[in-house]
Amino acid sequence: MKEKLKKVNGFEWLLPKSARQEMRVDARIIANQKILDAIEEDAIQQLTNVATLPGVVSPVVGLPDMHWGYGLPMGAVSAFDDKEGIISAGLCGFDINCGINLIRTNLTADDVRKRQKELVDGLFSAVPCGVGSGGKLRLSPGQLDEILVKGLDWAVDNGYVTKEDQQATEEGGRMAGADPDKVSDLAKKRGAPQCGTLGAGNHFLEIQRVTDIFDRQTAEKWGLTGPDQVTIMLHCGSRGLGHQIATDYLKIQEQAVQKYKIWLPDKQLACAPVDSKEGQDFFAAMKAAVNYSFTNRAVMTKWIREVFERVFGRTWEDMEMRTVYAIAHNIVKLEEFKIDGKRRSLYVHRKGATRSYPGKPVIIAGTMGTSSYLLKGTETALEKTFGSSAHGAGRAMSRHAAIKRFWGGKIKDELARKGIESKSPHPQSLAEEAPLAYKDVEAVVDSVHGAGISLRVARFEPLGVIKG
Amino acid sequence: MDGYKFVDDLTSDVMFEAYGKDLREVFTNAAIAMFSVICKLDKVKGKETRSVEVGGKGREELLINWLQHLIGLVDTDGLFFSRFEILEIDDFHLKAKVHGEGIRPELGETVVKAVTYYGFRLEKTDKGYLARVSLDI
Repeated sequence: MKEKLKKVNGFEWLLPKSARQEMRVDARIIANQKILDAIEEDAIQQLTNVATLPGVVSPVVGLPDMHWGYGLPMGAVSAFDDKEGIISAGLCGFDINCGINLIRTNLTADDVRKRQKELVDGLFSAVPCGVGSGGKLRLSPGQLDEILVKGLDWAVDNGYVTKEDQQATEEGGRMAGADPDKVSDLAKKRGAPQCGTLGAGNHFLEIQRVTDIFDRQTAEKWGLTGPDQVTIMLHCGSRGLGHQIATDYLKIQEQAVQKYKIWLPDKQLACAPVDSKEGQDFFAAMKAAVNYSFTNRAVMTKWIREVFERVFGRTWEDMEMRTVYAIAHNIVKLEEFKIDGKRRSLYVHRKGATRSYPGKPVIIAGTMGTSSYLLKGTETALEKTFGSSAHGAGRAMSRHAAIKRFWGGKIKDELARKGIESKSPHPQSLAEEAPLAYKDVEAVVDSVHGAGISLRVARFEPLGVIKG
Repeated sequence: MDGYKFVDDLTSDVMFEAYGKDLREVFTNAAIAMFSVICKLDKVKGKETRSVEVGGKGREELLINWLQHLIGLVDTDGLFFSRFEILEIDDFHLKAKVHGEGIRPELGETVVKAVTYYGFRLEKTDKGYLARVSLDI
């Protein structure tokens, strides 16, 4: 399929719908040559699968961090008509609202280096992480339902974060229309003890320093002043609650596919018509997981601030530990776009993709021990990628392959040589996220910047890493 | 022959094959394979037991439901499991006792988010059964 790609420019490639008989629309891939060369044939094939679904709107988008995923690649966006289209649990991903919070401080890298170990140890004990990690929060069923409906409104009311943090969150940290009755008891039972936990896998908490500012005006507006300023990046999702909702609705939508006679090239693309019960129930349950995940990260934000207060003997307000922005990766949203001159409401499925709206922050996480970026969304993203950009470096090697190939202890030593203090429940969890298991984040950022779907504002490097 | 082995498939996070002379054995070995990804199987002791009952529309769905049920149990009961005793099994239903102990971070390996349909197989062979399962981690 790769040979059928047509070069639009150095950062954009088109796979015309003529590439495969069943494709209803084209696919567009945002990538520089280096990234394109590394994209797997299977992942491109998966984009063409999505292009066959009912009501799909042109084009299906592959972002530069695109890599093979279940059904659809991670790092992909697909949009569907709000009447003729589908809503799909499979196109959203298992970790609903896996996302990133970026917090700034007025501390310098030197301030942190003097207290590096103490800080990382403190964060490691304050933020529960690892497989099955339970939180310090004990939620009653009523409280959990409230979180599912209210998201960050609950977190603000209960003193975890402020209104200001909430305003710096996608959707204001509360997606309207979330319905706890559409969430299974099992999903709730899994989620109740895990609110305020990092989990494992690729989830992390990093203390970072600014290395470069590319757009001074925007950086200043977002509170970033210059090199060596310390920031904090928190990456995690909706834990067992979101995993269970995705699992439950894949099953429900698998039946819907038969009921509504939808032709699927891959069973994992289970979906349902937008106006069906199976479609809307998933949407309402997914929103509940989105709200839970924003709250999960808000609860941890409070604990992170408390550790900094203890270590530096100053209040978090005095250290200006404000949320720069909090964004979602795996999400379905009903958004409006101008298509062929007409405003249309579309169900946009972002799987391993970040929203990129003009002037709004876009956060691209690098791999452990390398760099991460803050960018600014653009009009071009609205025109080309349904207002979306990349979310991370994108895996180049499966986690299992990485565990076999790298030894965690060595990774820890290598990070230490670079001045990065790291901590994880056991050494192998560092191995599965070894920097070499990922694509080069610089090439990913070069691609999105070059294509104009988001523009560089600042670059960060880690000083400390907590890996679940 | 071991009861399971991991298959090198770079596009999938984790893919394994489990074997067994009958359904009971292949289901047991699939659970062992999955928990070797979740936790340090050899260090998890059988201090606590849970009874499990799972149904499905056929043996393929039954296997997926069995594994998914166990993933859920890790979170809801805060346990890692290392021993799986299937008491009754047919194509549509199974009853089992699973043994493990409370989660401690040092016993953990990685979170399995879901059992997926990618490359999924459960087939009869001349030696019994072969299952191929891929996990999202």
